[in-house]
Amino acid sequence: GSQVVRNKHHRHAQGIGDPQVFTGRAGPARFAVGDPVVVRDLPAMYYTRTPEYVRGAAGVIADLAYESPAPEDETWADEDATPEWFYIVRFRQTELWGETYTGSDHDTLQTEIPERWLAAADR
Amino acid sequence: MSDDHDHAHDHDHVRTVKPMVDEITDFEVLEIALRELCIEKGLFTAEQHRHFTEFAEQIGPTPAARLVARSWLDPEFKSLVLTDPIVACREVGVDWLAPTGFGTPSDFVAFKVLENTPDVHHVIVCALCSCYPRPILGNSPEWYRTPNYRRRIVRWPRQVLSEFGLNLPDAVQVRVEDSNQKHRFMVMPMRPAGTDGWTEEQLTEIITRDCLIGVALPTPGVTTNVITRTRPAADPI
Repeated sequence: GSQVVRNKHHRHAQGIGDPQVFTGRAGPARFAVGDPVVVRDLPAMYYTRTPEYVRGAAGVIADLAYESPAPEDETWADEDATPEWFYIVRFRQTELWGETYTGSDHDTLQTEIPERWLAAADR
Repeated sequence: MSDDHDHAHDHDHVRTVKPMVDEITDFEVLEIALRELCIEKGLFTAEQHRHFTEFAEQIGPTPAARLVARSWLDPEFKSLVLTDPIVACREVGVDWLAPTGFGTPSDFVAFKVLENTPDVHHVIVCALCSCYPRPILGNSPEWYRTPNYRRRIVRWPRQVLSEFGLNLPDAVQVRVEDSNQKHRFMVMPMRPAGTDGWTEEQLTEIITRDCLIGVALPTPGVTTNVITRTRPAADPI
């Protein structure tokens, strides 16, 4: 059993929590609350957590979430991955689903996106 | 699988626990195989397995309901819930670092309470899988994990809410929160009319799990989850 390769998570996050264990390791956040952003359409072969329905969509930063390695690195247990800022991004539903959205014009959707997936947008 | 029972066995039947049911499914066979191998290889101990099972069995929606009820009664506590929810959870007996000391591996230690207002109604989903604030809300309902809910709530939230019996006026912004990363979310519904002078216990009773997901609104006299009206089968067997 002791020969099985394990990650360090159960030790380094002990008493701290995840994602708290990555606090202060991402450097300055590139975006602030209220900033307009566009979701980049990065290659997502094998794994991603950025849903297809937000790719290319324009939204607004609703909240700075925390610092953490991106799931695209963490899922392969890449312990050297650099943590980055995560943001809660707010989208208008009509931006995501266009004219076919059947709800109210002001309905919204929020989802969390790591910095690598976001580009600054014009207001 | 059953008729070739005369092959040579090299394992000890005496030490094998008999199944408590007549039939055992492939899933159960594989669960036992996986668990026993992990314990044999020292990946985790039988005691750790028991601890985690007992953790999973004692969680439920009551602390979450209490968190909201206390917020309705105490504005100071409410601002703590909205600004530092992990700390506020300790006040209702939930330690997000439990049971491992660094949180559960799948729920993390990032929790956010979404406050409904007269203008905004929140509803949560995990479109990618079934992420849910288990430490404070217990295990997710079966429908929450279905591809159906996950596919439709992000795209047609008002229709899905309507199927739950919740029809919101156009003036109210419906905001879907997709928990696709480490944050877990819970809705803080508005305190309904007709609850003046109610105690924390009385208020807690009407804040059901469904209200905390956002598919229902707390209603005086309603202390159970949504039961959707389904059409009777046309040709019942």
